[in-house]
Amino acid sequence: MAYVAARGGEQAIAAAEELHTTLNGPLSAVLVQSIERHLPYLVDRVMGEGSLYAPDLAALALAQTGGDLYEAVLLLRAYRSTQPRITYALPVRQSELRTVRRISAAFKDIPGGQILGPSLDYSHRLLRLDVLDDALSIEDRKEEPPALSIERCSMLNAPLPAVADWQRENGLLAPLPDRDPCDPSALPDVTREPISFPAPRAHRLQSLARADTGGVLALGYASMRGYGMSHPTVNELRLGYAEVTLRHPVTGVAFSAGRVRVSQAEIVDTGAGAPGDAPLRLGFTATIGWNEVKTIAGAMLDLEMSAPNPHPAHQEEFVLYHTEPVESSGFCIHYKLPHYVTFGSALDNLRKAAKTGETL
Amino acid sequence: MTLADLAHPRQDYSYGFLDAFARRELRRRILKAIAIPGYQVPYASRELPIARGWGTGGLQATLSVVGPQDVVKVIDQGADDSVNAANLRRFIARMTGVETTTDTTKATIIQSRHRIPEERMDKGQLLVLQVPDPEPLRHVQPDSSQAREMHADADYAQMWLSLYEQLVRFGRFMQGASYPVIVNGRYLMSPSPIPRWDTPALHQSAHLTILSAGREKRLYAVPPYTDVRPIEFSDVFFQVEDQAGRVCTLTGAGQKYMDELPQPSGESRFRISDTGYVEKLLKMAQGESTKIGPTYYDDAGQFWMPGVIK
Amino acid sequence: MLRPYGIRYDMTPTYFDPPRLTADRPLLTAWGLRKTYGRVTAVSGVDLEVYPGETLGIVGESGSGKSTVLRMLNLEEPANAGDYRLNLAAYAGENLLGLDRYRRRELRVTQIGIVYQQPHMGLRMRVSSGGNVAERLIMAGERSFATLRTAARDSLAESEFPLDRLDDPPRLLSGGMQQRVQLAKAIAMRPALLLLDEPTTGLDVSIQALVLDTLLRLRRERRIATVVVSHDLGVIRTLADRVLVMRGGQVVEHGLADQVLDDPQHPYTQQLVHAKL
Repeated sequence: MAYVAARGGEQAIAAAEELHTTLNGPLSAVLVQSIERHLPYLVDRVMGEGSLYAPDLAALALAQTGGDLYEAVLLLRAYRSTQPRITYALPVRQSELRTVRRISAAFKDIPGGQILGPSLDYSHRLLRLDVLDDALSIEDRKEEPPALSIERCSMLNAPLPAVADWQRENGLLAPLPDRDPCDPSALPDVTREPISFPAPRAHRLQSLARADTGGVLALGYASMRGYGMSHPTVNELRLGYAEVTLRHPVTGVAFSAGRVRVSQAEIVDTGAGAPGDAPLRLGFTATIGWNEVKTIAGAMLDLEMSAPNPHPAHQEEFVLYHTEPVESSGFCIHYKLPHYVTFGSALDNLRKAAKTGETL
Repeated sequence: MTLADLAHPRQDYSYGFLDAFARRELRRRILKAIAIPGYQVPYASRELPIARGWGTGGLQATLSVVGPQDVVKVIDQGADDSVNAANLRRFIARMTGVETTTDTTKATIIQSRHRIPEERMDKGQLLVLQVPDPEPLRHVQPDSSQAREMHADADYAQMWLSLYEQLVRFGRFMQGASYPVIVNGRYLMSPSPIPRWDTPALHQSAHLTILSAGREKRLYAVPPYTDVRPIEFSDVFFQVEDQAGRVCTLTGAGQKYMDELPQPSGESRFRISDTGYVEKLLKMAQGESTKIGPTYYDDAGQFWMPGVIK
Repeated sequence: MLRPYGIRYDMTPTYFDPPRLTADRPLLTAWGLRKTYGRVTAVSGVDLEVYPGETLGIVGESGSGKSTVLRMLNLEEPANAGDYRLNLAAYAGENLLGLDRYRRRELRVTQIGIVYQQPHMGLRMRVSSGGNVAERLIMAGERSFATLRTAARDSLAESEFPLDRLDDPPRLLSGGMQQRVQLAKAIAMRPALLLLDEPTTGLDVSIQALVLDTLLRLRRERRIATVVVSHDLGVIRTLADRVLVMRGGQVVEHGLADQVLDDPQHPYTQQLVHAKL
């Protein structure tokens, strides 16, 4: 291979990578397994924004980047680019989710009941300093407590009806459109075609599912604090497991390829709509992995984006472009790249400009 | 039997990194872009192992057209040896095994950020320019749907209005790099942040230029022998950066696009930004044999094609 | 006097009234104009005609639909029904409400000028005043900086704008001056039709009088067909030859300005005139 190593640049890159590795310690399978097992919410966040359900790869990405979230998400997304899409899974109804946690703020009790599930919501946020005292004995410990397994969740096998279904039956929400069961492969796929605006609903929900948690929170919080048009209530928040059901390409027989952690939030807007419309409007966000903040803020943004004349920061194009984690973080750090040529070109003008009035 | 038994054995990465479907889609979009010069074709830009905004658009274009016979040159700010250029070249070579070069005349594909080489590109060569923002209307119309409508209507009055305003306030056009051009008399196009010095090189060029923005998911092209005209008035003209009086400290040459190097004394020294060209000038000076192609600007600073720069 | 800048226009500017017989076809004819917003009917079945050189006033309280009519005539607000024609060679026999957006834009650039009550609707507040006027010519295809500069200056002079502020953006100007920039922009292409939407509302009385003087002079010197909308009967009396009185989206009375304002027939017009007194 006639590969020309231009002077300077390549040695510098090698040295920089080596230094990074030295500072962050060696990679090992044990480290990756440990991340996957003990930091499930972090792994979920990387999988959600990386839009690839692969806990081992997400853990590897975290280990490889020393926990730099944006870098880890990029690693996963880049890996994803190498993978052909073989098939589309069958749709999952929310009543069929294996639910481990389910909250409605709209009603005291709901059909199927409220399930607190695994949560730190009502825990005291006190640092467990005593744990540090054990630091020396970690090496000796052989038995680790088992990680969360699906069998430990009591409600797993009871299918739970959606709160929204009850509201639809009672005329509080607009009925679902009367359509044939959808063909998943016919849905617009934001990873296979670029988004353009106004976006198809599928593109909007897919973009929210992949969106940067912090970005969605910032824009969603602006809506909650009063820049928004809607009056939100958490209709239903769910964490659970979804069955990934595929059809065999030859026999057409449906079979399960496994279960994935998913979360979803439905927010209702109680602000009165146009006369004749249903009293409530529904906003929705779902993502792979368990991520409550993103789904709640995302569902509020979904409502905002659908409202007539939303605040500029809640317009669809604004929200979806600016919460893309890989694009926004990549562009942000690209300013570190040399810009000698553009800077020199601007300087050429500035030196010659007759500065008459005020600057624009 | 498990899924693992059914799956192919793991093969880490395929030729050109992207999966075959993605490469095919990109080639189709490129053909469309060539068919409609200057028109921004949306494409499903894939994430690459390079951060977004670091040339992923150019890289996808290169990876989707590169073949075993190609010879690839990668430059950033005109330099082959900058860390960013080195990194992209390293990646292309790693994923395709293709031959690389720093010699403009020997390359079949040149991927570049912010520059066009000083030596004239020729028939059969491909220039891939990395584009941060494909939308030349962005600063007059930030909303992309409305900007699209303006392109459809060829409604570019606001661009000339901003030229008018610049003349009124500063006595000259103030756009530095990315000077907007009209392609084939129809579409307003951002030539990517190349300096104005390089803009005329796109006009009636023998080579094909593909411009690709990975983050913004748009690509566009200037086919060979296509009109590319910078926006200007009929009585006030587009001007390139003035290189007069600047002498390259490495080669003693002038009238090429220079990097300015501030000196502690308060003065500036200059160096030709195209390092591949500098390399050849130095070889020549040392009496080694090398072939320097014709350049876009001669030693008097005249552009090779008369009438392009007024 | 303005030069035509080599751009097509259909009315020859002149300082003499031609014999009535040569001008007796209306420039603007509209009938059955109708506009609804959801269940609200803003304009229902308005007919109007304007002759070359004539000024038609439309009066009515806010919500009467008068501004909607003006926006429909400017083709910026699509009508639900109606027929709208301008007696211009390039658009002969065409209902302008059915133009595609390319020709609509061309017509609006070359043949219709408008002055809004709110300057920000008609101007780019951060672009120089000269640039605001020049934009019209740029849109029509003019690409000579010298021509643009001269045309902007001439047109601003015509609307009695202080030329030492030529390069100041409207956001730094007073209300009266902003209206003069709008006016200069509106007449820059020597349009056949001039639309004025409450052109002096919100200005100090003394400034208002000066702007009205300018409008009167222009009316005298250029024979532009003009439609002026105002709730201010004083403005209408000063500018208009004929008057339409609108209420609830309909025309309730029309006639010569003096006749309608001095001897109103419809109870609503009577009320309007008395309220003014």
